[in-house]
Amino acid sequence: MESLILSLLLNGIGLGLVYAAVAIGFSLVLGVSGVINFSHGIMYAMGAYFFWVLQGHIGFWPSVAITPLLVAMIGFVIERVLIRRVYGQDPLFGLVITLGFAMAVEELIRITFGSAAYSISAPSFAKGVFSFGDFIYPEYRLFISVVAAAMLATLWLLMEKTNFGAVVKAGMFNSEMVGALGNNLPLLRTIVFVIGATLAGLSGIIAAPIWSIKSQMGTLILMPSFVIVLMGGLGSIPGTILGGILVGVSTSLATLIIPRFVDIIPYMMMAFIIYFRPRGIFGEQNIVE
Amino acid sequence: MERCKKRCVRFQQVVLLIAAIFAFGLMASPADAQKKQPIKIGVVSPVSGNFADHGLLERIGMEMALEDYNNEVLGRPITLIIADDETNPDVAARRARRLVEVDGVKFLMGGVSTSTALSVGAVAEEKKVLYIATNQNGDQVTGESARHYVFRTPPDMAILVRAGAKYVADNLGKKWFFLTHDYSWGHSGTKWARNMLSTVGAKEVGELKVPMGTRDFSSQLLTIRNSDANVLVITLGGFDNVSLLKQLNEYKIYDKMKVWYTLADIVDVFAVPAEDRQAYVCAEMYWKTSPEMQKLNERYQKKYPRAASPVIDVNTYNGWLSVKILLEAIKKAKTADNVEKVICAMEGLTIKDNARKTPTYVRPWDHQVLTEVVFGKYNPVPGNDILDVKVTVPADQVARTKQENPVNVGCKK
Repeated sequence: MESLILSLLLNGIGLGLVYAAVAIGFSLVLGVSGVINFSHGIMYAMGAYFFWVLQGHIGFWPSVAITPLLVAMIGFVIERVLIRRVYGQDPLFGLVITLGFAMAVEELIRITFGSAAYSISAPSFAKGVFSFGDFIYPEYRLFISVVAAAMLATLWLLMEKTNFGAVVKAGMFNSEMVGALGNNLPLLRTIVFVIGATLAGLSGIIAAPIWSIKSQMGTLILMPSFVIVLMGGLGSIPGTILGGILVGVSTSLATLIIPRFVDIIPYMMMAFIIYFRPRGIFGEQNIVE
Repeated sequence: MERCKKRCVRFQQVVLLIAAIFAFGLMASPADAQKKQPIKIGVVSPVSGNFADHGLLERIGMEMALEDYNNEVLGRPITLIIADDETNPDVAARRARRLVEVDGVKFLMGGVSTSTALSVGAVAEEKKVLYIATNQNGDQVTGESARHYVFRTPPDMAILVRAGAKYVADNLGKKWFFLTHDYSWGHSGTKWARNMLSTVGAKEVGELKVPMGTRDFSSQLLTIRNSDANVLVITLGGFDNVSLLKQLNEYKIYDKMKVWYTLADIVDVFAVPAEDRQAYVCAEMYWKTSPEMQKLNERYQKKYPRAASPVIDVNTYNGWLSVKILLEAIKKAKTADNVEKVICAMEGLTIKDNARKTPTYVRPWDHQVLTEVVFGKYNPVPGNDILDVKVTVPADQVARTKQENPVNVGCKK
């Protein structure tokens, strides 16, 4: 039993880090630009699909390097053409425009690749499992946990230890003042959006070998991401990591006690946290503010 | 006067011409229009959502069947009108109602989820139109929710589970753990496997239910791995199953126990690499079981080279067979306008050119279509020959009896 609990716990932490890696870009864009970016899920899907196509031609590592760049470029174009128009407007505009874009791209993926699901094999260096007695943990899950943790740590360093991060964080509270102090606010927002798209694309790459790929995968990841962002607090990297791990560990362990209700646990946790702390665990403003 | 004459003659000519056109129209129109009026079949099938690829495959089968009949029956063309049910029972009922009320269809078919079959079946009964459930295996469709207006082409879960349970208990293991998709079809599969426990001398070790839309089964698989089961009995399908097939191998479940799918769609299996194909499965059909089926497969591959399944799968076959059943019943009834006559003609219908070893028979009292099912093991090798068929079982040998399913929805009470 102990080894099962340990396996489930480790599994939950790994899952949580992947969830957090997906959600963090969503959180940043919402925090800095006030846009509820529902196209974030489709960036995640594009990451998986680009990776799937490229891997067959140029191999694993070159695809890992090129795919996020492609998604970043698409993110740049979207920000310039669509998102820029809704800055400072009612958040509903941003939600509608990004949701519409996401639905259109999802349909485009379906037309191009069909509605069938596809799977990607884990790379050969991470196909095995670590096992000691009854304890078991797949090598690929450990690999993606490390990658997700590295992504989150890099972003944390960028936000906490650089001038750019300081300006971005200031922009979350008073974007007009940041602009008035001579910072190029439009450029700042573009960079944050591109960072968010890149992180979504990377998350799509690492998640594809465990969850498979399908045109609706972007839509399906949106709600868990949104829940994690609300739990952790807008724009908060530690909050998003904690939110992700809470969701991962609680759903993993709940399989032992209330397996049928695993799916509703994140929503119950979110309701509980927001009831007592509307800004989320580490948030300094809530979504309405 | 002269001018009037010319004008009057021209006027008379025009009047005569119009009269002739009307007279011709009156003579020709009623009978011809009746004869040539298309027979509309409303297809309520998933175009989007978790089962969209399954929906597309069943519609491909329907089109193939129409080709076999040169797209007409009783001298009337046939039209398929597609409506997306989104694999949602409420949406399916709404779309079915619209097909009947707005498009005037008298025949409905399609769908891949038991819950949509039940909701569309209710609409069919209310509107007194015929509905053929094409790819739904839950017991209720021809069991406690059986209706006079509803037929079901695929086998129910009792047929499938019984076809494989004995082989599983005798050859794979007797300690069973159930992994169940948490909706009516999933419950049916586990219920029948559980019912077979005492018959085959097996025992239940545990059960985990997972909701539709689950992508990560890691915690469930860790729990199952830690049990002392030697057979994992799975009733789970759709996109979720693609993830599950991968994760079964990722968590080395096959090293600890055998895996048995009470019903498997091969379209899910082609989505995963060969090394992830290791389970035993019950399946409704397989493309290599007869020369006729292989010919049907060749037609399918030639016409739909980009379809989700590289070989003809059960969704396509059942779509094909459902249209065939309907058109043969219309031919037998000699009408497509009297739904009641078509229903009575469909009851007891036997179709021999069904590309199977066993003829298809439409059982009159519960409207269950009976053919045959197969049990086998996936081949973990690349290519299209993915199933090693171990047993083929005629459905009437394992179907529910009248005592087990005390319904009577047939024309003869």
